[in-house]
Amino acid sequence: MKKILIIFAVFSIVILATSLLTGCYVSAKVANKSGAQLWGENCNRCHNAPAPGELNNDNWDIVGTHMQIRANLTKTDVEKITDFLKSANN
Amino acid sequence: MRQIIPAIVLLLLSCVSAQAQDSVNVAVAKASPGSNKFAVYGNAEASYISNSAAKGFGEINFKPIFLWRISPRLFIEAEMEIETGGGSADLGLEYANMCYTVNPYLTLHAGRFLPKFGAYRGRLAEGFINRFSSNPTGFGDGGIGASVETGVGALGALPFGDIKILYDCYVVNGPHLLTDTLNAGQFDYEAYTANNNSLAVGGRIAIVPLAASNLELGFSFQHKAKTGDAGTENENVSLDMQAVDLNWYQNISALQSTLRITGELRHQKTGANAAYLAADGVTKYLFANSPRAWYLSGSLRPALVDNTFFRNLEFAYRYSNYKRPVNAPWGGAAVTSNEFAVDYWLHWNSLIKLAYQSKSDEPKTFYASVVFGF
Ligand code: HEC
Repeated sequence: MKKILIIFAVFSIVILATSLLTGCYVSAKVANKSGAQLWGENCNRCHNAPAPGELNNDNWDIVGTHMQIRANLTKTDVEKITDFLKSANN
Repeated sequence: MRQIIPAIVLLLLSCVSAQAQDSVNVAVAKASPGSNKFAVYGNAEASYISNSAAKGFGEINFKPIFLWRISPRLFIEAEMEIETGGGSADLGLEYANMCYTVNPYLTLHAGRFLPKFGAYRGRLAEGFINRFSSNPTGFGDGGIGASVETGVGALGALPFGDIKILYDCYVVNGPHLLTDTLNAGQFDYEAYTANNNSLAVGGRIAIVPLAASNLELGFSFQHKAKTGDAGTENENVSLDMQAVDLNWYQNISALQSTLRITGELRHQKTGANAAYLAADGVTKYLFANSPRAWYLSGSLRPALVDNTFFRNLEFAYRYSNYKRPVNAPWGGAAVTSNEFAVDYWLHWNSLIKLAYQSKSDEPKTFYASVVFGF
């Protein structure tokens, strides 16, 4: 068991070290993805992605935060996706 | 040492996130007239079950989820569960979890929550995500693995190039060892309170290795040094649990379909110092207690065809295997289960499921169920 905790701690240190050196960053390929593309990719992983127009803008913000927590999504992805989902309401 | 590891991990992770750009908007977004911070979602499920022993409409579940986005930083999720499987309407607090977003890479939370232990419980098991009407053997009632916990945790996602690392770690009350004649050596994985002075630590590290975010691989663990009730002779019995999980989907244009593969393996080991009282009330006995359960499931949905009827159909198969402790009162030979399902989607989160289950310790069963997500 100790071994697992140690692996976990070492893993955290590796993450820390990597991010100190480079910072959390996304590749240009990922950074250039549109909200629509990120929605199609991320929101389909666990369930069918809900379509734009399904909810009002406030509720997309609520759901976005819920999914960020429940599904460990990155904040940048969630923001781009909710902007895309809201665009159908405007 | 063990006790401080979660603290170290938390500290490290907050350093990571502190030095990363903090872009959480501190100012509370100005609410427009008529805007709301509160929403209710959830799902309802009804099923019909038929086998050689019984026929009839089974339990009805109604699970409303209450969500408040109090501010961009403060969020609360709570789920109530009303189930009728026990013969009466049972009301349960599935979770009530208060979350504080420290920065884009770190959220702290406290309350009763679904720990990220594997990917089935709390995620893929949800009625509108599970393609079957039942759980894989070993993953539902009478199974193993962390289920609902009360405590505190930290979670987030860290992007590195094309890859994302997802992490969760938590300190919670943890499972309670059961010692009654029928369940000796099993655990209560959903206890509301603590049963001694030891806490469980656990976590999950997952990787989303592909830029298309269509694959997630996770490793989870949980450790509790003392699981027996305080003051009893089994107080110092430990429990170690691990899980690995897989979730992958891919559009296959040749088949005009979406293929989904999910799977999980769970293992746990109970300390060898346990001693249980046999039914005669005098004899003590113990047994090797390291159960294991796994499942692998695949489904195909012709989601890319033009015909609406076919587009909403999905075909699924799942194999599951539960290796129980041979000498436990709840143990015996390994249970295996083969399940086939044909689902029809009515909406992105609502479907009808027709499933056939062939399980080694039960009569062959046909299920028909309907789940509405709302
Ligand atoms: C890691 C798995 C996962 C991913 C990825 C995911 N979801 Fe979910 N989603 C869930 C689960 C699990 C629930 C059910 C929550 C519950 O019952 O507590 C859910 C529920 C929902 C709901 C119902 C309302 C609610 O908040 O419970 C909406 C809407 C939703 N998801 C939208 C999205 C969107 C949009 C995305 C992409 C940004 C997304 N989901 C990505 C797992 C996921």
